[in-house]
Amino acid sequence: MHNKTLGETIIAVDSVSKTFDRNVKALQGVSLKVKQKEVVVIIGPSGSGKSTLLRCLNGLEETDSGAIVIDDTPLNEHHRNKLKIRTEVGMVFQNFNLFPHMTVRENIRTGPRFVRKASLEEADRTTEDLLARVGLTDKIESYPRQLSGGQQQRVAIARALAMNPLIMLFDEPTSALDPEMVGEVLEVMKNLAIEGMTMVVVTHEIGFAREVGDRIIFMDEGKIVEENSVENFFANPEKERTKLFLSKILENGGCE
Amino acid sequence: MPAEKKLKFKLIDIVLLTLITAALVYIVYRIKVTIRYDWSWEIIPKYLFRFDKGKSRFVASTITLGFTMTIKLSIWGIILGTIIGLIMGILRVQSGLFARFAGRAYVELIRNIPPIVLVFIFYFFFSSQLLDHLGIEDAITTAGPGLKRFISIIFIEPKLLNEFFSAALSIALYEGAYITEIVRSGIESIPKGQWEAAHAIGLSRFSQFRHIILPQALKNVLPPLSGQFISTIKDSAIVSVISVPELSFQGMQVMASTYATFETWIVITLLYFMLTFSCSVIFGKLLRKMQTAD
Ligand SMILES: Nc1ncnc2c1ncn2[C@@H]1O[C@H](COP(=O)(O)OP(=O)(O)OP(=O)(O)O)[C@@H](O)[C@H]1O
Ligand SMILES: [Mg+2]
Repeated sequence: MHNKTLGETIIAVDSVSKTFDRNVKALQGVSLKVKQKEVVVIIGPSGSGKSTLLRCLNGLEETDSGAIVIDDTPLNEHHRNKLKIRTEVGMVFQNFNLFPHMTVRENIRTGPRFVRKASLEEADRTTEDLLARVGLTDKIESYPRQLSGGQQQRVAIARALAMNPLIMLFDEPTSALDPEMVGEVLEVMKNLAIEGMTMVVVTHEIGFAREVGDRIIFMDEGKIVEENSVENFFANPEKERTKLFLSKILENGGCE
Repeated sequence: MPAEKKLKFKLIDIVLLTLITAALVYIVYRIKVTIRYDWSWEIIPKYLFRFDKGKSRFVASTITLGFTMTIKLSIWGIILGTIIGLIMGILRVQSGLFARFAGRAYVELIRNIPPIVLVFIFYFFFSSQLLDHLGIEDAITTAGPGLKRFISIIFIEPKLLNEFFSAALSIALYEGAYITEIVRSGIESIPKGQWEAAHAIGLSRFSQFRHIILPQALKNVLPPLSGQFISTIKDSAIVSVISVPELSFQGMQVMASTYATFETWIVITLLYFMLTFSCSVIFGKLLRKMQTAD
């Protein structure tokens, strides 16, 4: 997406660190800025802290030090701020995490109903609109287990969008999918990017990164090793470690 | 559905059948020949139903009254035990230190003392003190006949209210400890991703619990929970030690006045079995219905 105008900074991460179990340094002084409408793709080897970074952004994980500001709201001790950020930042997980006891409709309208306190009609209208957007109108009364992986992930995207978020986080949204279903999910994400959603996407789908990404971040051992434009990142990466990683994933056909 | 194994009559079945038959023959032989037991089944019916001359119709007698008392005790035990278990089970999974400790302490305490001791403690220390102080007994004695009748129907005749409450509460506390653990394991069996997804759409901690975790957890725990309900019926026999006229206690009464030991206990056994077995059939049907419903 190289011909859109980016807005103001909407995510500001300043030297964030996070340690698990005393000595697992998942994040070590990560700083990052994301502008409105920007699509940032994060790649890196397993255990490099990609998921942890995303999870810190919506408060699923607490940071040890550093600061995170989202839409001018600092993510700090204040419960009000935390809640505001959670509702403004949508997240899509690798394993979909749909609510199995609820139909597709109920999955999607739960957020609007109980967080936004929307009326049932209003929430249902949102749900129907969103399902049309992800192409699953006919599945509205289905249960998650009756859907394919690709369909479940599209419902999960609709569920996150139902909260009308400013930012969408995707944590390897296609890596649990059979290859033939990857395309339909990436398509939905691409449309979202075209509509101007701010997105932070952890993925190893190089094709998607090239086509949709504005910027690529390469992480290793809890640090941002390289931050580059999409063209430069693949054509002439700056760091040795990036080259090494790229050569590995490119020869594996784009997947980890 | 996995292909069902075809059942055949195997050697092990023949061996088992022979053993069981031999045991039965032996028992019947012992009773008949060695101890020359004098069967007198004819005295049993009047302990089930007797003719009330005043009302000029048949009314429930000793054993039947015990049977209904066991049902009432079980129902109250199950209702209260489930409430306690639900609350304590939820406390058990809280991150608050004291909440967690309180849940744990309750479970450990109950599980590590014999239920009969629990019944006595409750009867002598709590109930006789507490209920007296609350003035319930006084209130009942001055109550009108309508209220008295109502109490007799849902609990017990007013003069035994103390015993009934101690009994129902100690059964509830005892079963509640097991239900607590059932609820806790049900909650813990829900994958972390469910909490995270609920968090990510902005639900408050309470809503996450109420709308996402609890419904799934409760559905998972229905089978073990129904097993615990059936146990409650059996376990209720223990309160016979504080003279609550439930089925076992009534059995002892009948035995003491008739000496028809075998007949009485055979009847009591059959009644318990009928009750628990029909409950497990009903629960089984309900569970299957719920599973096929969605
Ligand atoms: N809840 C946790 N408890 C303990 N350690 C954790 C936890 N979550 C992550 N870690 C550790 O933190 C490090 C970073 O993990 P993270 O999941 O962020 O990596 P990742 O880049 O997303 O890897 P992957 O590509 O495998 O998903 C790893 O060493 C991981 O083992
Ligand atoms: Mg990850």
